[in-house]
Amino acid sequence: MKNDRNTFEGRLPAQAPLANPYVPFQLENPTMYGPKEGLVRGTLFPGLDLPFMGMVNQEPQNFSPLMQLQSMAFGLQELALYLDTHREDKQALEVFQSYRQMYLEAKKAYEQENGPLTLTSVDSDRYNWLENPWPWEYTCNGRE
Amino acid sequence: MFIYDKKLQYPVKIANPNPRLAGIVISQYGGPDGELGASLRYLSQRYSMPFDELKGLLTDIGTEELGHLEMIGAIVHQLTRNIKDTDLMNSPFAPYFADHTTGVYPTAASGFPWNAASMAVKGDPIADLTENLAAEQKARVTYDNILRLSDDPDVNNVIKFLREREIVHFQRFGEAIQLLREKLNQKNVYYMNPAIDL
Repeated sequence: MKNDRNTFEGRLPAQAPLANPYVPFQLENPTMYGPKEGLVRGTLFPGLDLPFMGMVNQEPQNFSPLMQLQSMAFGLQELALYLDTHREDKQALEVFQSYRQMYLEAKKAYEQENGPLTLTSVDSDRYNWLENPWPWEYTCNGRE
Repeated sequence: MFIYDKKLQYPVKIANPNPRLAGIVISQYGGPDGELGASLRYLSQRYSMPFDELKGLLTDIGTEELGHLEMIGAIVHQLTRNIKDTDLMNSPFAPYFADHTTGVYPTAASGFPWNAASMAVKGDPIADLTENLAAEQKARVTYDNILRLSDDPDVNNVIKFLREREIVHFQRFGEAIQLLREKLNQKNVYYMNPAIDL
């Protein structure tokens, strides 16, 4: 954990023009959860993690290969939104790059076991796009 | 261009059908503060945004909202699978069933079909980004309310994730306003409309 100021407080302009809406700017190089905790809590950033009436999701004992892939994709998305407003944060960019690498590797491994996630991953010798369940189906998570 | 990724952003695994709850959660599909309006709001507002940071943020959040729409659709679909006539007789889901069976249709829980009047594209970046701050808050409250009305742990697990995303998006839209303000006339950010006068 870094200091609280970096995690839970943001930056406001010292002299702020009147009649403007202000949200404190998240400070650079913020503290982050790991990928699994980030996915389960819905954010990588403890400073933005503000649950309703103490209702917090618990990390499941086993992370399925799908959930591992989802946690990599989630880290990528969360850091993309952060970098959209923090282009100059080089440390966050490094974390983004490591998520990007982990995501690409996890996607490849998942698709070898479970079939294509995107049309560009369909097999070269047969059309296997329709063989695995659709993501909204209850069965797609291996519960039935 | 959008490319379909055959997975949800976050897993949806609802063990027990519950049509009453489906009739509540559907509001985040097609209600006034739901994910359909959110995705259309951001993906439409981006055309009149100046500066790459703002175009990028609206594209990336708008795209994520499409993924949330899919998750809400998955919850409603799983909550209404294998339901029998007897489950519906005295259920608050019966009016929805009469119109849409167990299809997923964009409507508010109160029965009003999705309406573009519930979102806005003003064509002025400060006005649109301020609208988005309110939109994220209203979506957050709707998720709070669903958590109050639901005792299904499988549904609440997903709702808690989606609710937290609203808070993160609120933060980013607030930062986007600050980025915009830094590039405008510091004495009067309302001097002109940067969408058309820059």
